[in-house]
Amino acid sequence: MSILIALPKGRIADEMMPMLAGTPLALDAKAMKSRVLRIPTATPDVEALLLKGRDLPRYVAAGVAVLGVVGSDTLDECEVDLLELADLKLGACRLSLCAPAGVDLAALRLRPHLRIATKYVRMTRAWLRAQDLTAELVPLQSSVELAPILGLADAIVDLVQTGGTLKAHRLKEIEVIGRTSARLVAARGAYLSEPGRVAPLAKLLISTLSRA
Amino acid sequence: MPTHTPHYPDLLFPATRRLRRWEGVLMEKLEGHGYQELRPSLVLREPVEERSICFFDGDHLVALRWDFTVALARMLVRRFPEPPRRISYAGDVFRRTAQPWEPVEHFEVGCEHIHLDPAERREVDLELAKLIMSLPAVLGFKGGILALGHAALLRRPMEAESLPRALASRLVWALDRRSLHRAAEALEGHPAAPRLLAHAETLLAEPDGEASLAALGQSPYAALLEEERAHLQRVLVNLTPLLPEHLTLRLDLADVKGMDYYTGPTLRLWAPGAQHELAAGGRYDGLFPELGRPWYAAGFCVRLTRLLDLAETRPELFETL
Repeated sequence: MSILIALPKGRIADEMMPMLAGTPLALDAKAMKSRVLRIPTATPDVEALLLKGRDLPRYVAAGVAVLGVVGSDTLDECEVDLLELADLKLGACRLSLCAPAGVDLAALRLRPHLRIATKYVRMTRAWLRAQDLTAELVPLQSSVELAPILGLADAIVDLVQTGGTLKAHRLKEIEVIGRTSARLVAARGAYLSEPGRVAPLAKLLISTLSRA
Repeated sequence: MPTHTPHYPDLLFPATRRLRRWEGVLMEKLEGHGYQELRPSLVLREPVEERSICFFDGDHLVALRWDFTVALARMLVRRFPEPPRRISYAGDVFRRTAQPWEPVEHFEVGCEHIHLDPAERREVDLELAKLIMSLPAVLGFKGGILALGHAALLRRPMEAESLPRALASRLVWALDRRSLHRAAEALEGHPAAPRLLAHAETLLAEPDGEASLAALGQSPYAALLEEERAHLQRVLVNLTPLLPEHLTLRLDLADVKGMDYYTGPTLRLWAPGAQHELAAGGRYDGLFPELGRPWYAAGFCVRLTRLLDLAETRPELFETL
């Protein structure tokens, strides 16, 4: 039976794929050019599943894939029981509170009805609790930067890598509330019940993908 | 991970037959070792646990039985001035699990050994370990891994460092995820962080028997944990020659699951490739003192729901079904 590794599409994948090239876990180039989402690797019996970040934890937690690479922002937003074996430090970002230029945290605190738009509801809620702040959370899935400009929210909580998108929308990062990066995760059952099968593969992924 | 309805499974003919058969052979095995069955009510009136399924019975908030050990402990304290030494149980409990897609109803068979003299602990733990080791043969699966842990390996260092409750919970959560970087995040800025992280690294190192115990001897808390290390060493020496064929004994020093409950050695039985442990148990000497009785206790529970799942999804793991 093949071992399946769940790999993310998108931002983390852009950094990760070149690192896998030429290693025993390099993905089959021909399959990558096709539309299949189950890709053979250079190691027989090890295949990669290409998944959207939000779906990936469930594939691993349910044991369909024994290992996976996923952003900590995604992990922190979902409640699944899996092992988080390493911080690969890929795709590192800040999770930040951002507001229109000229607005700071003190000003936001004074708003009688503070509205914050975000895709990261759980992490934002935890930060608000720690800050003893009350706010209405406006859950959005994309283009969060538009919310303060168009009056949907007073501020946003979003991932910031270079700050380019914020600048383009005249927003300013006013508080870093967390840091995120790609993590190597494992299915609890597979890792603990078949250590001889899964642990060497986990070690290989860590040595290949870790960005110190 | 949103789920809109809890998962209440129905059992069809083959699963029902297996459940009946496994319950029967396990209870027979336990009875053969002197365990007598008790059955606490399915509806509990005690303060309701967070993961339980609760509802109003008239004006009273009640809960479906969510854990046999807790329900039995309350029953024993209410009804028995001296504890019956060996008790067994079989039936279902209802609780929400960490994975939202898992069933809420769980079928279990288990046993508990309750005693008054702490000097009996070693003998009792060995008796229970032997019983767990016999489970693969009793249930007809081909092999497995028995993981041996000890709840005090993390608890005592955290107590020694007077870690606040919330921080201790975060550290336990991080270790349960086998995540050293999350432990480092949790401990950031705490004066004991370097010591606790060095210890966490020792616990998280890959389990490999004697070498793990030797590494534990180099932990910053080695002196504090000398008794626990000696205990694990003794258990390894005692159990290894008794291991049935196809069962592997493995040390898992980072096993912190249930640490708010377990106080001593823990055992978990895994089938290769299974997503969940099939049986789990250990020593929980804090339970009865909390209820006002100076009794010591250890026990284990066989998770029949998980065996039923495994029988459906991985029949090749069983000799017979």
